[in-house]
Parts: sequence; C-alpha cells; structure tokens
Amino acid sequence: MKYKIASILNLVEYEDKLKPLTNRRPVASLPFACRYRLIDFPFSSLYNAQAVSAALFISGSGHSLYDHIRSGSSWGLDSVAGGGVFTHSQVLLKSEANQDYKTGPYYYDDHYKYVSKAKADYVVIMGSSILSNVQLESVLNYHMDKECDVTVVYKKVKRSELRDDTIYTSLRVNGNEEELVEGIDWVASQPDPESVLALNMRMMVINKKLFLDYLFTAREKTQDISVDNLIQYTLDFDNQVSGFEYTGYLKVIEDIKSYYEANMDMLNEDNFNSLFYKSDPVRTRSKNSGPTYYGEDAVVENSQFANDCEIFGSVKNSLFFRKVQLAKGSHVEDSIIMQDAYIEEDVYLKHVILDKHVYVQRGARLEGTAEEPIVVAKDSVVDAEGNIVEG
Amino acid sequence: MKTETVAMILAGGQGSRLGKLTKQIAKPAVPFGGNYRIIDFALSNCANSGISDVGVVTQYQPLVLNRHVGNGSSWGLNRHNGGATILQPYSSVEGEKFFKGTAHAVFQNIAFIEEKNPDYVVILSGDHIYKMDYEKMLDYHKARAASLTVGVMPVPWDEASRFGVMNTDRTDRIIEFQEKPDKPKSNLASMGIYIFNWPRLKQYLEDNQSKNRQMEDFGHHVIPAYLRNSEAIYAYSFEGYWKDVGTIESLWSANMEFLEPNHELNIRNTDWRIYSNNPNTTPQFFTKTAKIKDSMITDGCYIAGEIDHSIISNNVKVGKGSVIKDSFVMPNAVIGENVRIDKAIIGEGAHIYDGAEVVGTESEIAVIGYQEEVGGYSDEV
Repeated sequence: MKYKIASILNLVEYEDKLKPLTNRRPVASLPFACRYRLIDFPFSSLYNAQAVSAALFISGSGHSLYDHIRSGSSWGLDSVAGGGVFTHSQVLLKSEANQDYKTGPYYYDDHYKYVSKAKADYVVIMGSSILSNVQLESVLNYHMDKECDVTVVYKKVKRSELRDDTIYTSLRVNGNEEELVEGIDWVASQPDPESVLALNMRMMVINKKLFLDYLFTAREKTQDISVDNLIQYTLDFDNQVSGFEYTGYLKVIEDIKSYYEANMDMLNEDNFNSLFYKSDPVRTRSKNSGPTYYGEDAVVENSQFANDCEIFGSVKNSLFFRKVQLAKGSHVEDSIIMQDAYIEEDVYLKHVILDKHVYVQRGARLEGTAEEPIVVAKDSVVDAEGNIVEG
Repeated sequence: MKTETVAMILAGGQGSRLGKLTKQIAKPAVPFGGNYRIIDFALSNCANSGISDVGVVTQYQPLVLNRHVGNGSSWGLNRHNGGATILQPYSSVEGEKFFKGTAHAVFQNIAFIEEKNPDYVVILSGDHIYKMDYEKMLDYHKARAASLTVGVMPVPWDEASRFGVMNTDRTDRIIEFQEKPDKPKSNLASMGIYIFNWPRLKQYLEDNQSKNRQMEDFGHHVIPAYLRNSEAIYAYSFEGYWKDVGTIESLWSANMEFLEPNHELNIRNTDWRIYSNNPNTTPQFFTKTAKIKDSMITDGCYIAGEIDHSIISNNVKVGKGSVIKDSFVMPNAVIGENVRIDKAIIGEGAHIYDGAEVVGTESEIAVIGYQEEVGGYSDEV
C-alpha cells in the first residue's frame, strides 16, 4: 500500500434546500449524471489513492446509501487486509443524549475507535456535497513532500457561483509559494458577486496523531470537529495549514438549482471530460443492465442516457437514468429523468426533474424554468392535466 | 448441504468459423447484443436455475474469457458453497491433459466433480444464445428416472441434416441418434445440453478410458455407447429462442434479431435476467450532431454520428459525419469521422480511421477483427 490512510466521510450535510430530493435520502446518495450518486466521487478518489477503508457518519435514513454502497466492493473497500466500510448513524446518539448530539461526550468514540485502529499515518476527511473529482494521490504527495500538519483542498471560484446565504467557507491563502492558509471566512459575508475566493472544499489530509489530539480536545471542550473547525484549531495551535489548489470541475450542491445545473453541466463536453475523463475514473456500483433501445422515430440531441431505457420519443438537452420508458410522440427537454420513470405518449416536459419511479400520464405537460425547475417527488403520478399526485 | 447438481460449461472451443473474431479470444467470450458475451447466457441460466456449482472448462485463448468469468460474482455465483470455477488443462504425472473433445474435457475434470459428489451433472455449451430453466429439465429427468436427458428442439426439416438428430418413440425416449444425417428421420436437433446421472457417466468415462476405447465426444461416442447399452435416454423438448452463433452470418443476424423490440428473448425481463460483467463506465453521450434510430446503445458510448438499425457496445466512440447501418460494433471500438459502416461486424477495440469504409452485403458480412485497424496512415505512397 502506497498511502496509509484512514478516511472519514462526513455525510451529515446541509440538505434543507434540496428537498424533496432529500426527503428520504442524504445528499451523499443524490443521483447524478445518469448512473452515479454523489458519494461515488469521494469514494472514487479514495479508490484511486488505494485506500482500503472508510468510516461514514450519517444522520437520518441511510437506506439509499447502504443499498448503494453494500460491501464497498465497487470501490475496493472490502479487502480482508484492513478493509471495510464502517457506517455510524448519529440518529441514536442524538436521541439518547437528548442534547446537542455533536457535542455530547460519546460523539467522538466512533471516530476515535476507527482512526486509532486503522493502519494509517494520515486521516483524510471528505464530504459529498461539493461535486468534484480530486486526485487524492496528488494531495497526499503534496502533504508528505511538504511535511505539512494539515492540508486542505480549495478551488478558486467566483462568489456568484454560490448562494447568497451559502453555508460554505473560504480560505485566506497567502500568495507565496508555500500556499499557507491564514484564516477562514464565511462566504456569505462576502457580498461582491464578482470577487474570486478560495472555496474551502472541506476536504482535508491531517496527520493521524494530530487528529487524535484534536479529538481529545474536542471532547473535553465539547466542540465540533468539522473541517472548518479543524482548520481553526490548527491555526489556534500555531500549526501550519497548507492549501492545495484543485483546478478541475466543481459544483457546490446546495439547492435544487445547483443540483440541476450540475447535471446540465455534464451535457457540456468540457465539463463532462473534466469530471470523468481527464482525472481518474469515477466508479459506481455496477448494476446488471441491458442496452438502451432507441426506436424508429426516436430523436436524441445533446443528451445522456443510462442503460436499460426504451426511447420512442424525442429528447433534447436532458439526462436519463436507468430503466426509463419514453413513449412515442412525447418530448423531453432540459430535464433530468431518474430511474424507473414511465412516460406515456404525447407528454411534454421541459425544465423538469423527475425523481425515481414517476409515472407520467398521456398528454401531460409540465414546464418549469432553468432557474426553478419543477421537481416531481419519488413515486408520484403526473396526471393528464399535469397535476402532481404524490405517491 | 449436499450438492445435487453440478453444471459443466464447455467453453474451450475456438469457434474457427468466426474467423478473425476468434483469433485472440475464445468463442464463448465473443461479445453479443451490446453488453454481453456469449457465455453470459449459459452462466445466467445456471444462476437463474438455482445451480450454483459451475465448472467453466476453458482451453483455447482463455485470457479474456477467464477474466470475464472470474469467480462468478457477476452472476451471483460467488457463494460460500460452490461458485464458478475455471477449469483449465493441466499437466500431471500422467502427462499433459489437454482436452481432446467434449466428453474428454469432462473426463479430465472428474476430480472437480467428484469433490462435489453430485447426483447429476448438467453439460452445457458456452456458445449458445438462449434462456432456459435447467431445473425444469432436471425435474423431467428425475420423473423419467432417466440415465441421460438430451435437450432438443424442433428445427425445420430442411435444416435437420446440419444437426445431431434424435429419433424418439412415443414416450420421448431416444431410440436412435444420427449425427448430421443426409436423410434425417426426425427434426429434433440436439442443443448440446445434457443431464447425466453422474455416477453412471463417470463409470462410462473411466471404464472406456482404461480400456483405451474412444470416449472423447458426447455426440460421437458417449450417446452411441449409451444407446448400445439401452440406457434410459430421454429427449427434453425446448421451445423458445435458441441460436448457435457459430458463423459470422449467424452472429450478425442474431444481433440484428436482437434489435427487434418484441424479440423472443425478452432481454429486459427481470424475472430471468441475463447477467454480465458490467464495466464501470460513463453514461451514453449523444452530441448535437447525433442521429439514431432503431438501435441499441450501451453505457460508455460517445455518439456524434448517425446510427441506424445497429448495436453499439460498451465504450464505443463514433465521430461526426460517420454513418453506421445494419451493423454490430463490439466494445471499445473507435470509429473516426466520416466513416461508413454497413452490414458489418466491428471487432473489440478495433480502430476505424476517418473517412474509411467497411461495407458488406447480407450474404457476405464485412468483418474487422479484434483490435484491427482500418484506414489512417498507410505505408503505400
């Protein structure tokens, strides 16, 4: 093993503005780009850096996540040699402690157990809501070469790419070659939409011993150990935080609009190639599937599909997940159609997101806008008049 | 739990009539239908029939095939008990054990079967396209207290002379076997699917081997010997789609049939899934210039050209201005710009450079081999 790393995936993420897509799933298992879920991106980074294990911290229902990850074998996390996916739900702790669960005295027991047992020199901390394909190997090499205490990954983005009230933070990186981080700020407090800032990607490499020290401190002082706080601790203790600049495709998935745009971005070849080809391959749980059939009158333009669909209508600027049926005479444009949708004849959909397993009756019309796409919740029926009846 | 049934998939054949398509890979590993290989059908049938002990006998150019089958996990065959096992020729103190025929391949692997000590052994061929419940055939075999049951299917009378033909009595007992007869007495063709009572078959294989009698091929030696000794041999009639894709033309036409939305195989039916070793790859990408009709496309493809009545397998790239019609393109092929492909099979990983033409006819399908290159820079001036 080239890199000895333990990895913590912090999947207790901000999901309020992604409802109804996140009604029953964490951000990490949001479907993306026809055949992926957001968790595939950090998992693939780990896979490509030959990580063997990961600890997941989730809240709420983990069903969709467990169903996707299974044994972790798709990402090489099932090796007998130190491998494993350790999932920790904070729901129980939350109800038992009947207090602010993150600062309860037992909150860090699982973190501690996992990291101290892992045969690792470094701890990698990641989330899933910042869509990117980071070559973790390069970050680790940088971290080791420079003998950093903490390395944190950032990307230079325009302020306007994030929500006005975004909960994400930016880094104050000094302009020298060392790329040292001097401070951390709320993006929301920076009003100029044209300004360029170093977005904190909440992805960190930290030396194992230092991380365990922080865990003790955090437990004693009942503090939180988000990546943001870990950066602050490091600065407070006068240790060095190094910045690593990521330059590939990035999108912060923080609301329906950004989720929609991220998917639509994939129809642009440059973005698609940046995320899927120019960096290491992205792996997902492979499912058994047959080819997609396109009928005699099918029209597809600038669109993407997964396997197992049957397409008889016309499709423009859209993404189709697996097992979607599109009857003839129907038209889908600028839309995201998730798995198992059944779209009858003479339907018109534009700027629409159909969550999984939606049935659209003959003749229905739905039209949203690029700014506000219409989201049809999982298992719903769209009737002929275009009314959405939730399932 | 005792193992009742072991399946042996004979996948060692070269499939020489597939020409350049099987120069580097064995016939059962030849791609089919977009994201399958031919052996997926036999392996999936085993998994769906509840047979979890499967020996896959390989010999000819086994690299791709062995990697594809692996431990059988793609078919759910990676169990604590049983699973898929690749069986290759080996050498021992008795010399090298290359397989000389279908029955000989089973003889050489008696140790594998004996380890499981099953009541029945199902012999399958790894190069047919069909969906079949072997359990039903096994029930039939048990109900007749048969020693051997042969899977047969009715073929048109004028084609019967191309097959091994079973002549049966009114109880479906096989009374005569004709291998590729000029004047067939029956139109029940052998599908190369056999269920044997294992202890009896083992006895035949071992006895004859020790007496140096030829017992190398099921059709030529074993079935005639069983008939001579009046063993209870029954014919199990299969109805449904079954195709031996042994020639370029049959491989091409089976793929073209596969395109029909109401094809008998009903590939999307999840009750009897055909599993495969699916590659980890991207979605299918159609650019603004793509045109497509009556075709099947699979994950990982990038399509900027025009596809008409064709199957495009995993990870194929088709450049702008290219037109592919009535063709089957195997995985990982790269088709440049302004290429014309018509009535052709393009081999796995082949590279067709800009402006090239690959055009066949219905009676003579054009074939580009495994990783073959067409067009592009030439040495000729």
